[in-house]
Amino acid sequence: MQVTVPYALRAYTGGEDTVELHAATLAQVVAALESRFPGLGYRLLDDQGRMRRYVLVLVNDDPVAHLDPASVTLRDGDTVHFLPSTAGG
Amino acid sequence: MAEIRKGDTVVTVGTRKGVFLFSSRDRRRWASRGPYFAGDTVRHAFLDPRDGKTIYAGVTSEHWGPIVSRTTNFGGKWVRGKEGPRFSKESGLSVTRIWQVQSGEADDLYVGVEPAGLFRSTDGGDTWASVDALNAYPGREKWDPGGGGLCLHTILPYPGDTRRMLVGISAAGIFATNDSGRSWRMYDAGIRYYGQKKVYQTEDLGTCVHKMARDAKHPAIVYQQNHAGMHRRRRGDARWTIIEKGLPIAKSTSGTFGFPLVAHPHDAGTAYAVPLEGDYNRVVPRGAMAVYRTTDGGKRWERLAKGLPQKDAWYTILRDGMRTDTNDPAGVYVGTTTGQVFFSRTDGDSWGLLAENLPQVQSVEAGVVAGR
Repeated sequence: MQVTVPYALRAYTGGEDTVELHAATLAQVVAALESRFPGLGYRLLDDQGRMRRYVLVLVNDDPVAHLDPASVTLRDGDTVHFLPSTAGG
Repeated sequence: MAEIRKGDTVVTVGTRKGVFLFSSRDRRRWASRGPYFAGDTVRHAFLDPRDGKTIYAGVTSEHWGPIVSRTTNFGGKWVRGKEGPRFSKESGLSVTRIWQVQSGEADDLYVGVEPAGLFRSTDGGDTWASVDALNAYPGREKWDPGGGGLCLHTILPYPGDTRRMLVGISAAGIFATNDSGRSWRMYDAGIRYYGQKKVYQTEDLGTCVHKMARDAKHPAIVYQQNHAGMHRRRRGDARWTIIEKGLPIAKSTSGTFGFPLVAHPHDAGTAYAVPLEGDYNRVVPRGAMAVYRTTDGGKRWERLAKGLPQKDAWYTILRDGMRTDTNDPAGVYVGTTTGQVFFSRTDGDSWGLLAENLPQVQSVEAGVVAGR
């Protein structure tokens, strides 16, 4: 599946904006990103293993950041976008 | 970009939009670098006095979490920590912001975070361990977050003694350890009740500490700017003492209201504060900027305003917005919420403008470069 890395975190991926990987859940996506790009997982998950409060996650355009990452199941061909929530002024 | 060499004074200015570095050989002409971490809030950054070359920055992304980064070549390259501080699963808490970064007395590093917590690193900020005895302090569920959020914003190690430390938590109060953080006790007796003449009679009634500073010559003496007034306490004293003669008094609290407080780097009994009008109007009184100085441990304070704007100065100085360098005479640096940095190289007797039009200044620190 294709995972889109937000602009602010591309220092972790060497500038790459998309990453191809295999994962069965959103939690596995984050774990795979952390494995390939150490430190990236910390920027996505809070101390309790939830998505950080102002992180938006779209799976095939459906928002799932409010869900337990381990409960969000994925299939090959899905797209996962990590985005900053729109906030502030 | 001007080279930074041994003996130069370096001022680190943390802002809502990154950190800026200013350097000078003579404290008259200043060169600037940055911003670094543009877009992220740097509530605190400082030149580590232990080696005089490493700058640590507590960088908070509201989206992507907080982390400590460091540079040993004044911004040429920043090294990001492997991860930021994390609360335990059992706590149910998650770190959202770094408020304070502080060098310890044992080649270690501390951060104070929001929600209130203290973490220690022994690898330069790559990884962090929770100071559990404080972070799981009994009754923390009752701590009042105050308007600024429940944050641990002040970390005061004791020079030369790794066992002792004071921390300030808004608005839970002051906590002390004398066993290297294995146990903590509250330290609030003597602080004024909001708007009243009476003071707290016991240590464990949480108060809204804004900033604390240790006396340079006698570190057992601590000065405290509290929401309800200015105080001083020496280790062994039964309680804090109110020290406000010569300071502006807020109508609401019946005491001096303000945030920043810093001790002179060398002189006993000497400290600086920037009082605000009050908690109902957090600007410098009457729009006239002034720093107040005591040279006798708080018996009297004098107003210092030579070179500072005396009209239309409608800004705030945040709790880490003032520091001194270690020169003699000392430099004093003050950053405002409207992006000015004022400085004095004469112990505060006269002032000039170091920078303006910066993002909101969150913190100012100053040090002298060593070993280059």
